[in-house]
Amino acid sequence: MRDFVVPKTDTKILGEIKLEYAFQLRAKYDPPKESRSPKGIFRYQDITSGELRGERLNATVYPDSGGQYDTVRRDSTRDVDAHFILKADNGEYIYMEHVGYRRTDGYYRAIAYIEADTKGPYDWVNNTTFIVTAKESADQREVVFYYYVAN
Amino acid sequence: MSDESRPISRRTFLGTAATAGTGVALSALVDTPARAKVSGAADPLPPAFYGGPSADVPKVGLRWAFSATVFFADRIMIGSPTPRGYTSVGGGEIWGPRLQGRVLPHSGADYFKTTFTTYYMFEASDGALIFIHNRGTMRRFQGSGPEPGHPLVPATNADPKAPAWTRFRATPVFTAPEGPHDWMNRTVFVAHCQRRDNPDHTVFTYYEVL
Repeated sequence: MRDFVVPKTDTKILGEIKLEYAFQLRAKYDPPKESRSPKGIFRYQDITSGELRGERLNATVYPDSGGQYDTVRRDSTRDVDAHFILKADNGEYIYMEHVGYRRTDGYYRAIAYIEADTKGPYDWVNNTTFIVTAKESADQREVVFYYYVAN
Repeated sequence: MSDESRPISRRTFLGTAATAGTGVALSALVDTPARAKVSGAADPLPPAFYGGPSADVPKVGLRWAFSATVFFADRIMIGSPTPRGYTSVGGGEIWGPRLQGRVLPHSGADYFKTTFTTYYMFEASDGALIFIHNRGTMRRFQGSGPEPGHPLVPATNADPKAPAWTRFRATPVFTAPEGPHDWMNRTVFVAHCQRRDNPDHTVFTYYEVL
C-alpha cells in the first residue's frame, strides 16, 4: 500500500443540514414471504397499493411495480431495500428507491432516491437527498413513510 | 493511455458530474455555500430535530457524528455507453465526536456514472477497517443557502455573477467490524459535502439520522 501525506488545510469546517418535510406515503403490503439465504433471512414484501400526499407531489403507487427486498441480519436488524414506481397526478411515472435500516428497537429510517422527468414539474426531486422515517401497523401490512429533504 | 481512459480537467469532470439532469453552470461548482461555520472543536453538538406541518408527522433528528476530509488524486473519464468517471481517493483525516482515524491511503475512488458513487476504506484510530459506500446528489440554487419557507430556485446560466450555492449531500452505507463501531452498521447517515481547492479535497460532515 502506497502511503499518503495528508496536506495541511486551514480550518475544520462543519457543514449544516436542515431537514424540510416534503410528503408522506401510505403503503399497503401483502404479508411478507421469508426465506433463508447465506446473508440472513431474505424478506420479500409486495407493495400492493399506496398513496403519496404532499404540497409539491401527489401520486399513487403504480400497481405491481415492485416491493421491498429486505434482509434480516444475524443481529436482527433488517437491511431495507425497496424499489417501486409511482404514478403522479399528472400521469408521470416516478422511480422510488429506499435504502435503510429497520431495527427491533423501533428505529426505521432510510434514504430515498427518487427520479422523475427532468422536463416535468417534479424535476425538483432529482438530485435531492430525502431522509425517510416510517410508522408501521402491528401486522406490518401498512407502513406510512414520511420524507424530508436534506437541504 | 488509451482514448477511453484519459485524464480530464477538474472543470470538465465537475461539469459532467453535476450537470446530469440539472443544467447547472460548470463554473459554478468550484465555489461553495457560504453558510458553513468554522469549528476547531470535536465536542459533541446537541442534535437538531425537524417536524412536519402537523403533529402526526414524526420528527427526525440529525446529530453530528464525525467529519472526513478527503483528498483526491486522479480524475479520469471512461467513454463507456454511459460515461464512467474515476476520481481516486488519495487519503484524508477523520475527526469528530464518534469516530477518529484516517482515510486508508489509495483505498478506492469515486466511480460515478451520473452521480457521485464512492467506495473506499476508513481506518479508525483503533485500527478497525470500515468500508464506506457513498452515494451523492448535487444541485445548484440561487441565493446563498436554504431559507425556511422559501422554495429553492434552481440557478440558471443567465447571470454568471448572480449568487448561487451548490447543495451537495451524500448518503453513506458503512460496513464496520463487530465491536465499538458496530453502531455504524445499523444507523442511517447523511453528509453535508463541501468542495475545496488548493489542494483538491472535500470536507464531509456526517450526521446520524435519529
